[in-house]
Amino acid sequence: MQNTITIPKFRIGSRSYDPFPVWIALLVSGLVFGAFGGYEVLRYGLQVTGLNNHVTWGLWIIVDLSSIALGGSAFVFGAMVYLLQLKRFEKVGRLAVLLGFLGYSTAGLVLLFDLGQPLRFWHPVVFWQVHSLLWEITMCVVLYLNVLIAELIPIILEHPVFSTHPILDRVPLLRKVANGAQAFAHFLHKLGPFWAIAGLTLSILHQASLGATYGMLTGRGIPFDPTAPVLFIISAMGGGTALLFLLSMLVFRVMRPGLVDDKTLYDVAKLAGGILLLWVYIRLWDWAVVNYYSVQYAVDTQTALLDKVIPFSLSFWIGQILLGVVAGFVLLYAERVKNWKVLGFTAALPVILIVVLRWDYNFSGLVASFSWDPFTPTIWLHSYTPTWQEWAVATGVISYWLLAFSLAARYLPFQSTMHHE
Amino acid sequence: MIEKELPQEEQQQDISRRDFLGLAGAVAGAVTLASVAGVHASQASTHAPEGEHRWGMLIDINLCIGCKYCTYACQAVNNLDDDMIYNVVTLETTSNGDTYYLSRNCMHCEDAPCVHVCPVGATYHRPDGIVTMDYDLCIGCRYCQVACPYDARVFNWREHTGVSCRVPAFGTPEVDPRPRGVMEKCTFCQHRIDAGLERGLTPGVDLSATPACVVACPTGARVFGDLNDPESPISQRMEQHDVVIRLREELGTNPKVFYVPPQDAA
Repeated sequence: MQNTITIPKFRIGSRSYDPFPVWIALLVSGLVFGAFGGYEVLRYGLQVTGLNNHVTWGLWIIVDLSSIALGGSAFVFGAMVYLLQLKRFEKVGRLAVLLGFLGYSTAGLVLLFDLGQPLRFWHPVVFWQVHSLLWEITMCVVLYLNVLIAELIPIILEHPVFSTHPILDRVPLLRKVANGAQAFAHFLHKLGPFWAIAGLTLSILHQASLGATYGMLTGRGIPFDPTAPVLFIISAMGGGTALLFLLSMLVFRVMRPGLVDDKTLYDVAKLAGGILLLWVYIRLWDWAVVNYYSVQYAVDTQTALLDKVIPFSLSFWIGQILLGVVAGFVLLYAERVKNWKVLGFTAALPVILIVVLRWDYNFSGLVASFSWDPFTPTIWLHSYTPTWQEWAVATGVISYWLLAFSLAARYLPFQSTMHHE
Repeated sequence: MIEKELPQEEQQQDISRRDFLGLAGAVAGAVTLASVAGVHASQASTHAPEGEHRWGMLIDINLCIGCKYCTYACQAVNNLDDDMIYNVVTLETTSNGDTYYLSRNCMHCEDAPCVHVCPVGATYHRPDGIVTMDYDLCIGCRYCQVACPYDARVFNWREHTGVSCRVPAFGTPEVDPRPRGVMEKCTFCQHRIDAGLERGLTPGVDLSATPACVVACPTGARVFGDLNDPESPISQRMEQHDVVIRLREELGTNPKVFYVPPQDAA
């Protein structure tokens, strides 16, 4: 079992420093900044944001959608390890579970601030409106977060501190609790295939519904897009897997050399590359159907107006297509590229792609909306600038993600010691 | 705990074509399932129930002078601050270049996108077709605001204390203020309709049972009544016009607010 963890050192001249404490301090200060913004939002309500009656979803929704998408590797690797029995991906799969949990808990956290009535966050679970996509998303996310917790508990409880700490021998009660916890962890671990099926089903349902949330907005020209559900699912799979590859390099290659062989990591990259190219293919057809094979006055006008205020078309061609093609091909041929620095840089590109895609869906239709004049309909441009409170909350939740990941990368056992039933 | 060592062959195993096809098949199946579920959800009916009454409004654009009395009366009766407007009046242009005033409140659509998308059922159809709110259920997610093609939904961004500045010295608002952080909307002054019906009055005919915007309109541009009743003022008035339009009809929301278009545009 690989117990030694190598912490990357920072070199200044001939001296090397452990950057970990400084990094953690930086993230804690991000959390404190977030707490200030969060307090303002909860105390004074959403009037402290830059949101308005026209642009009613803003920066937080982008963080929310992106963090959910970046957790997409959890269901992909759950299916690979437990349903396809590709056990050599198990350690990488454990990292995927962690990323899934962090993505979904981050989304839940930021949504809490985004609700006008944060204390009613539980209403969708109790007051069902089954025709609403947002209800379905909420239920799936709540259930899936529980699935991820069930998958994460055994990983955390495998830490040696829960079985070999000296205090367990001195306090018999603690030993009993620890044994009980281990038995519980084994039980949860045995249910792996069940969690994998539940995770796959719930994830695909709500990732699709997140796309459909915008795709069904018939009243708004640009977001209305029947392909959006599929685009959201596949981008989450590709982007999530690319992020998993990037962080696998850090967690396994740098910090735990030898625990996962390079061949497995290359295969993760290949999977991400293949999915990304599939995504580009579908996205191009989607573009062609909306913008090339049909002429829609509303879409054309909206696009032209948006291009005046934001680099809308550019964000599509560069932020989505070009990034997707470059990252897709480089990752697909990762084994030939072999240069880990290039691979690491390339694996970060789909993360940008995911954010840009969700940014475009959210803002394009909200910033430019139709007028209601029945005779000479026009497109109105609205504006939105996030306030410091919005940036603070966003910084806070992203700091939470990074802090939890950093601690987990350093302390979590990614090598399972349990029986595989 | 016993650590299980995987066989070397398995460690070195590639993703075989079979594995890849299996994964692709599983994903494709789930994607199809999700798409089908999505289609069902988006096509499921949130049609207004058919009750005894079906309240509607007719706005004659030719009679509207843009005085905004409808806006102010609405704000006074519903206790709205100046930045909260249920009734928006804008200056628009016909294809001939002539200008006209378009006053617009909630369309009370029969297939209302806001009812469809609300995750908790806080926005719902009453049996009489009015699209209304349960302010105790609303979580303030603002999806209804994004989904509404008429921009008719208003969010309560801040705490409202005191009384709307539009309330005249001799009157009082008829509705309690809503809490901060919930969505609001025009309710066709449902409280006036309900109280009026209890007293045997006819909404659209008797002023105290009629929406405030209709009562305040100085030119009679707004007419209210029961669309199920051929004798109601709205049914009678619609009979008199050859052309009656609804906003963004192509979206299939079936609004219950009708417009008499400008004469030169009709």
